[in-house]
Amino acid sequence: MKIKLILITIIAAIIFALALFVGPKPINPFNINGIDKEILFSIRLPRVLVSIFMGMALGASGAVLQGILRNPLADPYILGISSGAALTAAFGIIMGLTVFGSVTIPLLAFIGALITGVFVGAMGWKRGGFWPERLLLAGVGLGFLFSAMLMLLMSISSDEGLRRATLWIFGDLSLADWPVLPYGFIFITAGLIVAMTRARALNALMLGDDLAHSLGFSPRKERFILFISVGFMTAASVSLGGMIGFIGLLVPHIGRFIVGSDNRVLIPISALGGGVLLCISDLIGKSIISPTELPAGIITAVIGAPYFLYLLRRKDVLSF
Amino acid sequence: MSSVSDGILEFGDINFFYERGTPFIKDMSFSIGNGEFIGLLGANGSGKSTILKLASGLLNASAGDVSLWGKPIVSYKNKDRAKLLSYLPQVLDINIPYTVKELVGMGLYPYDIMPELTVDDALEMVGLQEKAGALITNLSGGERRRVYIAMTLLQGAGLLLLDEPLANLDIKYQIELLRLLKKLREKRGITVVMALHEINIALQFDRIMLIKEGAVIGNGTPDIIMTEGSIKKAFDVDVDIMRESSGEVYIKY
Repeated sequence: MKIKLILITIIAAIIFALALFVGPKPINPFNINGIDKEILFSIRLPRVLVSIFMGMALGASGAVLQGILRNPLADPYILGISSGAALTAAFGIIMGLTVFGSVTIPLLAFIGALITGVFVGAMGWKRGGFWPERLLLAGVGLGFLFSAMLMLLMSISSDEGLRRATLWIFGDLSLADWPVLPYGFIFITAGLIVAMTRARALNALMLGDDLAHSLGFSPRKERFILFISVGFMTAASVSLGGMIGFIGLLVPHIGRFIVGSDNRVLIPISALGGGVLLCISDLIGKSIISPTELPAGIITAVIGAPYFLYLLRRKDVLSF
Repeated sequence: MSSVSDGILEFGDINFFYERGTPFIKDMSFSIGNGEFIGLLGANGSGKSTILKLASGLLNASAGDVSLWGKPIVSYKNKDRAKLLSYLPQVLDINIPYTVKELVGMGLYPYDIMPELTVDDALEMVGLQEKAGALITNLSGGERRRVYIAMTLLQGAGLLLLDEPLANLDIKYQIELLRLLKKLREKRGITVVMALHEINIALQFDRIMLIKEGAVIGNGTPDIIMTEGSIKKAFDVDVDIMRESSGEVYIKY
């Protein structure tokens, strides 16, 4: 297990370094001139950091949600949080809002995500606690409603607004910039720390509420804390760069194939795996047919899905 | 009704309602002493599982007090309670692919300082040491149940509340589990309260509490409780109690 963890960490470090120095214009790390420095610090570093944080948030959120909802098909978007974010962000983009400069759209997305999270939480709350099935159905229901509203908004918007909103919804990391990073960093790091410190409780919750209680946890309290951590991580992730599919759903499953189901290991591995996958996907997306950029969200699925299917075939047990 | 002065688990006039209307548990009072080996016997739906859930603090009584070692159960912190009491539910329909070792190891979650009993010890007790690395999802129903029992034992609590733990177990493991629990009672002084509906197994206990419609209708040693009349009353079935000249008792149906 330790060797696996060390190996994955080394691979992650190599990929993060590659993403900084390889690209449409390769940079020699041992001979950096003024232009290279500008590219490195103004464009690549914020973009690499955004992809890492987004990927980490999605991977960890997926692992936590699949646990608290006890559903292998759960992902951070199933709670409708991303649909809420997409709706408010698209509204801002189409209306051309720039009240808070470059952080306007991320801020709108974050607010949309949080409001939706509170709404879903309220709908999933009954008799003093969250009910997993209610949360799930509330999320799916609200997701449909917001998606319909988003489509309505987009169908009546101008071509340019529509193009930009569509790009954002598919996950557009080219918008990554320093001003949004601290917010993303704070919420995602806080969410990750909370999730990792509650990993034992999550393990117990996955055995069912009765056993979790017997093992000394309050299932209601733990589910509430974990839901809040996922809410903040997802909201921050969507606000950083839009919606990136695949990671939140399948990276935790890939993680389970590799390191098993113990959330004390699975949450950090899913976070690391999500960060690596999004980082490498973005690198490929912006390099493969440069100067045209492919959205990272498409590449994550193109790389990740075959690997997931390969593991599914090879392992003799389903991951849930 | 037997009264034990040093009761570690006490029900004082407990009423419990699942829904408004008639109580599911009615004015129930009893006391369980340290080191007792108690069987809750009753038909399906009689209230055995609800009694165990109330005793574990999973359900809160609508009226009355459940006390654990002389203090109301609600006054304990979750982690402190988990060191005194462990509860194994009847339904264990878990499909998460934990390894046997991971799952049993969760029995140590209430502890910051590890107790002397290890995961390997607990697995040895239930005869599954060879399966430590196996995935729980690849085990048979009976093996899974033994894994959960190992987890419960590792938790190291003095009071075990076990809801039909013998279900799905081969007769060999039923006997072995009962022997193991009795051995643990001798060695560690644990107290066991077990829900069951197999009347022949009930003869193995120190004390039987016969449950019907949310009330204790009989409470005492098997000799006293296991009569044709009381079994008819609890299960609505006719049986013959056979007493061999050697003193062995069994129930024929």
